[in-house]
Amino acid sequence: MTAHRLLPTALIAMASVSVLAWQQPPPTPPASQTQPPRQPAEIELSIMGEPGAPPRYAVPDFIALGTDEQTRGAAKSIAQVLWDDLAFEREFYMIPRDTYASIPAAKSPETVPFERWRELGADGLIIGTVRKVNDTFQVQAWLYNVKMQKSVFGKEYTGGTRNERIFAHTISDEIHMQQRALQGVARSKLAFASDRDRESVTGTVQKRDVKEIYISDYDGANQQRATAQRRLNLTPAWSPDGRAIAYTAYRNESPDIAVSFIYKAAAPTWPARGKGHNFVPAWSPDGTKLAFWSNRDGNPEIYVMSADGSNARRLTHHRASDVSPAWSPSGNQIAFVSDRTGSPQIYLMDADGSAVRQITHESWADRPTWSPAPYNEIAYTSRTGPGYDIAIYDVATGQRRHITFGEGSNESPSFAANGRHLAFMSTRLGKSHIFTIGRDGKGLKQITKVGNNFMPNWSR
Amino acid sequence: MPKIMPVETSGSRRGRGRRVASSLAEINVIPLVDVMLVLLIIFMVTAPMLQRGMEVNLPTSRRTTQLSEERIFVTVPLSYQQNGIVQIGDEPIRVQVLEERMRQAMLTKTEKEVFLRSDGRVLVQEMIDVMGHLKAAGVEKVGIVAKLPGER
Repeated sequence: MTAHRLLPTALIAMASVSVLAWQQPPPTPPASQTQPPRQPAEIELSIMGEPGAPPRYAVPDFIALGTDEQTRGAAKSIAQVLWDDLAFEREFYMIPRDTYASIPAAKSPETVPFERWRELGADGLIIGTVRKVNDTFQVQAWLYNVKMQKSVFGKEYTGGTRNERIFAHTISDEIHMQQRALQGVARSKLAFASDRDRESVTGTVQKRDVKEIYISDYDGANQQRATAQRRLNLTPAWSPDGRAIAYTAYRNESPDIAVSFIYKAAAPTWPARGKGHNFVPAWSPDGTKLAFWSNRDGNPEIYVMSADGSNARRLTHHRASDVSPAWSPSGNQIAFVSDRTGSPQIYLMDADGSAVRQITHESWADRPTWSPAPYNEIAYTSRTGPGYDIAIYDVATGQRRHITFGEGSNESPSFAANGRHLAFMSTRLGKSHIFTIGRDGKGLKQITKVGNNFMPNWSR
Repeated sequence: MPKIMPVETSGSRRGRGRRVASSLAEINVIPLVDVMLVLLIIFMVTAPMLQRGMEVNLPTSRRTTQLSEERIFVTVPLSYQQNGIVQIGDEPIRVQVLEERMRQAMLTKTEKEVFLRSDGRVLVQEMIDVMGHLKAAGVEKVGIVAKLPGER
């Protein structure tokens, strides 16, 4: 009787054992062995989204390998800044960070719950760690393909603890380059003139506020003063190597061109040597020459000199005023403004001053700036009604379009190094502030919040 | 014919009478059918051509939206009450990520509509909660799927 009862049970037990054995998943290589320390793989893998949609990325807080407040804060802020940097170029759909709450945070790169991230719709996932070693941060970052649970990008960075944002900017630029072959601008900087410190100019009777040159990260963080001369300093221009800023400085009420090497404690150099009044320097793309305009021969004309001030040469010869030069990205041409038809218009000429031709025919066109490759466009300030707007002229087709539409006055455009964004000043919020915007007119972002700010220039 | 001949017994008289009668009574319809069939074929061939209007060469574009869009079904099974898991299409997901997933799905859609298939025994409150997630994700129309009494 017992045997009779036991038999079915035994059969069921055997069956279930065999089913269990059958259901054992095929052995998968443990993720921890291969992935974390790996440098960019030999086989480049780019993460694709669904057809017709950009890949979706998630950037959860980095993992703090350490319990002190500074490491934990850096782990959080690096992820936030990285998210902003990646969103800025609009190459990826960035999954909002407030939707990550339901997903358990990974304690180490080996325990990332990929299934949960896939459930959220992520195609790419950026996981990073932050460790504080003495006075430096060691930051590791990996970009995972969520579907394949494989790392397609992985790097380690070491740097000072003073500015953790630079880690995020670097990671963002490298991911854009690796995944989209796109030169990111997250590490570039803005320079602009501002009166925010409300000091009055020294040596004058009038109570006039100084304008000094300020610099900031591309996203408006880390705004700091670059000149302290208590003068009017205007029209900053970054040298192509990013080490110097050339600007118009009013020295003893006489405007001249100054070059400040902002990371060195040294007095500015004066390459134009005070010959006449000199304005609006523009670096040639190779950084060896400066174009500017000067009234040293009687009326405003465009000149070119070497960066040290030698070989000054006049390019334009016209009774009218020729001002505001801007180099083409190849350095072969110069755009400038002239009022030879009665109102200021944009003209092009070859870099030796020949082949002058007019490209705008409107009521007022001023402050041209030439887009870097791959776009061959000139942005300028165009009068539309009482104020000004930013217009973009396509050099190849002659087509013209506006990217601002009468909200306040919008002036002084300057392109980012990849040609996809512009910085400009606008009075749309009352005071004059610096904004950045995409070349399609979308993605407006306010950079400055205090004082009046003018004439932005975006570093290469 | 050759088979009938030997059976016939009463000679030519009967055969002649039958021949006369047949020639009077029957119309030869074969040419008529031929003509009608040819006409039928002609009309059959030309009818679809007549319906065609002006020809339109659609412009080409690098980015287009699919005309016949795939419908999105969100299913709320009865087990939702225990584990909070719903389905988008066939994919089970936690309800916490439903909103973000729908936002992603709506990005490429022009018709922002979703069909909600909810178990009949799911509480109205729970269904409204799910609909709240859909609305927050930018879904403009939520259709609630039901079946007819006899349907299975």
